[in-house]
Amino acid sequence: MAIKLSKIINSWVPENSKVIDFGCGDGSLLKELFENKQVLGYGVEINDTKIEKCIEKGVPVIKLDIDKGLNDFMSSNFDLSIMARSIQCLKNPDLALNRMLELSKRCVVTLPNLGYWRCRINLASGKMPITPELPSSWYETENIHLCTIKDFENLCLKENINIKDKVFINRNGDQGGLSKINPNLFAVEGVYLLEK
Amino acid sequence: MKTETKLIHFSEGIELESGEKLNSFDLMVETYGELNEGKSNAILLCHAFSGNHHAAGSSKDFGIGWWDQLVGPSKTIDTNKYFVVCCNNLGGCAGSSGPSSIDPSSQKIFGKSFPQVSVLDWVNSQKMLMDKLNIECWHFVAGGSLGGMQALQWSISYPDKVKKAGIFAAASKSSSQNIAMNEVARESIRKDENFHNGNYYEHDVIPKNGIKTARMLGHITYLSEEHMDSRFGRKFQDEDSKVEESVSFEVENYLQYKGEQFSELFDANSYILMTKVMDSYDAGKDKSLVGALKEVKAEFLIVGFYSDWLYPPERGKEIQIAAMNNNIRSSFVVLQGDHGHDSFLFSSKTYSNLISNFIES
Repeated sequence: MAIKLSKIINSWVPENSKVIDFGCGDGSLLKELFENKQVLGYGVEINDTKIEKCIEKGVPVIKLDIDKGLNDFMSSNFDLSIMARSIQCLKNPDLALNRMLELSKRCVVTLPNLGYWRCRINLASGKMPITPELPSSWYETENIHLCTIKDFENLCLKENINIKDKVFINRNGDQGGLSKINPNLFAVEGVYLLEK
Repeated sequence: MKTETKLIHFSEGIELESGEKLNSFDLMVETYGELNEGKSNAILLCHAFSGNHHAAGSSKDFGIGWWDQLVGPSKTIDTNKYFVVCCNNLGGCAGSSGPSSIDPSSQKIFGKSFPQVSVLDWVNSQKMLMDKLNIECWHFVAGGSLGGMQALQWSISYPDKVKKAGIFAAASKSSSQNIAMNEVARESIRKDENFHNGNYYEHDVIPKNGIKTARMLGHITYLSEEHMDSRFGRKFQDEDSKVEESVSFEVENYLQYKGEQFSELFDANSYILMTKVMDSYDAGKDKSLVGALKEVKAEFLIVGFYSDWLYPPERGKEIQIAAMNNNIRSSFVVLQGDHGHDSFLFSSKTYSNLISNFIES
């Protein structure tokens, strides 16, 4: 699925743009964007081992708790900010979204969909969802602000955030099938290109 | 490890930032490893406040090198692979021209008449050294604290001569608090009755008590509260190993011992000069820091330490933000560090991996 996601994001990133990737992990996505789009990119990560991997790849990286430090980058004029599979881990996802759109022209956000039918079955049987996309127990998970596709789009509406483009991914990592017809029920992940 | 230590003479002299000129000068230089055919493996290490040219290995006069934990064969900065250069900075007291060396024009000890130098002067003199060693571009210039300031200034002054810069536990300028601490240190030296307005050499004495007190204060600022607590706590010094009658606690004894040791090795005028170099540095003094970094081509690795309250991580972050504004490929990482400001001297797994990955990438 990681390959698919990077492909989508790749298609949204203009060449030679300045990009910041919040929660960049080992820097794979940025590395790919350097190679394909000659971007100037910075990663933001909190885990030391992942930071070491970024540096090993030649990906510039900043060690920072995203919950605390988005303001630091306000002056850098980014074309695009990326937050892949991390927004649900933040204390204030709504504030983070607005900040990202202040520090960059556009932003890409991807999030796991809690409305996915397997999650609903879990909940219907009285348990917190555990799926391949959300594998951790409620007491272990870093996902403190999970939402459904519908919830997220409602938030965008409320905050006057334009959804420029969106792609829904089904459990096979594809875009097609039922996830196109009813994403809130059949998509495991939503991928958004946002603008204010 | 192939190590060469030599005194290199620069008969052409150097124009200093202050407008003064040194008609000639010497630098005490130590190198490790060998320059490869393509001259692409040269690394410059810049020492901090009281450091010297002896960065790695063990020497008779200077003991274990100041960055020996990270520099050597198969270490983080691998001397089997890289040609590593380190010099005692101008104004120092480990062999390079400084207040305690002889002024060639008068054949007397410079003393107080040695001109005030700056970080920029150090970088310019290191550039002259670079030319003498036939190095065209540094693969990596690195240092901690005042050494990090030199690495930063190198990338500003000579953008085509530095590929990568390592700026550790450093800042683009000293804070008011830093300057204040240094002034207390200077005052203790100046008020020592043996200081003789800087011309103590003529009286055949050294302002030992002054340097000792200055160093004791310095030591407190290099360590963290946590580190001091875990190392000394409130333990009492046992009677047999007291260096001074008056001490009660271990921490007092430690500072007394360190201060005493240092006061016999370090020149008081150099101490004052070095602190002034630190205080006066401001990478963005002519323009803003963002403006100062405009021409930089080097990649940066900036490392700060949470336990460092002398140059706390925020100072490194300022450099990172200015670098990002200039589209410099720059990384900024904060590590715990167990040794306060001094953490940059000690190897840890992450610190070591970061540096070696950065050099190799």
